[in-house]
Amino acid sequence: MKPPVLRGKPIVPPSQISRIRFSPCGKQLAAASHDATIKRWDVTGTEPKELPSFSGHNGYVASLAFHPDKQRLFTCDTWGRLTGWNYLNGKVIWDVPTAHDGWLRAIALSPSGDTVATCGRDGFVRFWNATTGKKAGEISLGVDLFAMAYHPEGKSLVVGDLFGNICEIALAKNTVERTIPVKAFHLLDRIQDVGGVRGLLFDAKAETLFASGAQPKSGGFVQAFPLMQAIDWKTSKPGASWKAPTDNEGFIHDVGLHPDGYLYAVTSGQPGNGSLLFWKPGEAQPLFRTNIPNCHSVDLHPDGKYLAVACTNANSSGNGRAKGKEYPSNYSPILFWNMGSNPAGARFSWSKSRFRSGVEWDWSLTRGVRLA
Amino acid sequence: MFLGGSGAMALGGLTTPAFAEQLRKERKQVLFVWLDGGMSQLESWDPKPNTPFGGPFRSIATSVPGIHISELLPNCARAMKHLAIVRNISTQDNSHSAGVERIQRGDPKNRGVVYPYFGSAVAKLVGPGDSGLPPYVWVKPMSGGFMYKDAGFLGPKYGALALGDGKPPENLLRPTDVTSDDDRERNELRKLADSRYAANRRPDTTEANSYAFEMAAQLQKRIELFDVSKLPAKDKERYGSHDLGRHLLLARRLLEEGVTFVKVTSYGWDTHGDHFNGAANLHPKFDKPFAAIIEDLAERSMLDNVLVIAIAEFGRTPRINGHLGRDHWPEAWSACMAGRGIKRGVVAGKTNANGTEVAGEPVDIGGLFHTWYEALGIHGDKVRYHNNGQPLPIAHEDMHAVKEVLA
Repeated sequence: MKPPVLRGKPIVPPSQISRIRFSPCGKQLAAASHDATIKRWDVTGTEPKELPSFSGHNGYVASLAFHPDKQRLFTCDTWGRLTGWNYLNGKVIWDVPTAHDGWLRAIALSPSGDTVATCGRDGFVRFWNATTGKKAGEISLGVDLFAMAYHPEGKSLVVGDLFGNICEIALAKNTVERTIPVKAFHLLDRIQDVGGVRGLLFDAKAETLFASGAQPKSGGFVQAFPLMQAIDWKTSKPGASWKAPTDNEGFIHDVGLHPDGYLYAVTSGQPGNGSLLFWKPGEAQPLFRTNIPNCHSVDLHPDGKYLAVACTNANSSGNGRAKGKEYPSNYSPILFWNMGSNPAGARFSWSKSRFRSGVEWDWSLTRGVRLA
Repeated sequence: MFLGGSGAMALGGLTTPAFAEQLRKERKQVLFVWLDGGMSQLESWDPKPNTPFGGPFRSIATSVPGIHISELLPNCARAMKHLAIVRNISTQDNSHSAGVERIQRGDPKNRGVVYPYFGSAVAKLVGPGDSGLPPYVWVKPMSGGFMYKDAGFLGPKYGALALGDGKPPENLLRPTDVTSDDDRERNELRKLADSRYAANRRPDTTEANSYAFEMAAQLQKRIELFDVSKLPAKDKERYGSHDLGRHLLLARRLLEEGVTFVKVTSYGWDTHGDHFNGAANLHPKFDKPFAAIIEDLAERSMLDNVLVIAIAEFGRTPRINGHLGRDHWPEAWSACMAGRGIKRGVVAGKTNANGTEVAGEPVDIGGLFHTWYEALGIHGDKVRYHNNGQPLPIAHEDMHAVKEVLA
């Protein structure tokens, strides 16, 4: 078995990135950016080629989701806007400027592809016709909502909130069917509620729900242990879990399910800390793990041969400013990793690498190291 | 040691209701809200939406046309007609350990003495008033006690009485098995011992010791102040059940009872990581009770007497680090004030388009100290401390008040 290895050169967009996703046709990579645009690249060639960005959002583009019809892309922002695009020609199909009051945090597409679900800081879950953009329903949960996932059978939607609760919404009745509390995801530190369920994902058989985020240790700096928790869907009982060994690593920011049954995920914590990791539920340790600073999103290409990771430049933090120098901004290099053959059965430690800033990369420093 | 400036009159038992009302109107009081760690100016008083460092949030209109603040402060937006914002603060220190001291002591020129915190200074310059309560009360989370170091060269007597978690000092009440006569005799004995102890020691230290006992005695008579069960449920809901809400509600009661200076501290604002989720959670917990106390003071006509200040040791960086946090930023940040001597519904100063620098003349903390003293009717060009014969300015003599916010 071979570990994943870096592939080609990184893309270095000039802004920070919230979310990256490959189009289901495998030809494009899209990035939700802090500069209110959706950046895109053609990834059919040997090197990614930048395509025109989509604009029209405000604040941060918080998330995005491709429709499996290989035409539509749905994007949302922190000012509450939800937009449907034809990503092939760049035209807006429909646009809802105030889908939510403020931060629209997550998008989920129904298994049928007919409905786009959204949730936000305003405590609402809303449903939108994926063809017309018309509102198809809503339910208020009354708390800050972070993450969503449709059950693969399409009968229910799960929503994760700031307090570590996961609510199952029965779609036919538009009611909360059950609430699964995972209190490890929440901490009240002084007056700050910290943490939340940041990601939700069903396994291929729809028997297990994976919740991800962090077990917070403090507010402010937000020292936190990245945490993934499996939950038996039928019984609501907690199953396998993985928690990072140190509280510098912050949150699981993004997670996906590999066809081979393991989860790929990225973490970001104190500036400079972060990792790409593969975890097979039930295993005590990740199959693979490597340090990459402050990763905020990861996605597997539809061909399964490589994945992309959006991380952060080095030296991203600092108090005050250097006098007489231009004030710096940070950005999110996007790295590509060739997947090895089935990593199950082999283990890799995370490297003690450091990550260098700028566009000149020392690839050897970011490679995973195989255990003896 | 002392100064010109205002003197407080003791009410004693000789006042008529009209005279008492006149005195109440002439009170000079301060509410000082300290957001320890540093509140982000970009998610509060000086939003820069849709700019490179502006963050994810919107700005919203306020009750004053043309003034916008962060969407995270909707109640303050409603109360803006009472508020004044200073957006061009630029200070000297980006560390907490030094920054807290420098800001709260006013960062004057170094003369080899430790200047008092603003609370101690006001306790000295304004005096205890007619409340019969300590002049400088600090409501804070966690433990309390007598914080003599706040007073600097003024001497321990002007330190802060800290009410840990808003509760009265422990063992305040006379034990039930000690009669009042026994208690009085014990105190006489203590005073005798104190006087012997003081005979060969610095008076400041022994005065502070005696003062602490006097304060305890004063508070014993006013223990009802801390009984939150008597507060209307509606007020508790308006202020919130978290520390900052409860403590601001207690601050309102202390101000109503005439305490000269009330400081309320909230910890945990040092949002180096996950800042925007932190701000989305923290800022509303400031917004709601702060707007509530402003509106309550206005409704009671107390904003004519009470100078209100909300500030921290610095703001937060425009740049957003890899942990999605904002770091320390003394270069260009904001504070909010209201009440006595302060114009209502104004903004002074500005930052550049991206919030990375002050546009125009910056204001350092010395300028804010001059502003606050002027608002209290204490003029820095006329009033001096006299520290064992050493005349000292009450604030940095090279700086001046922010005239745009002075009424």
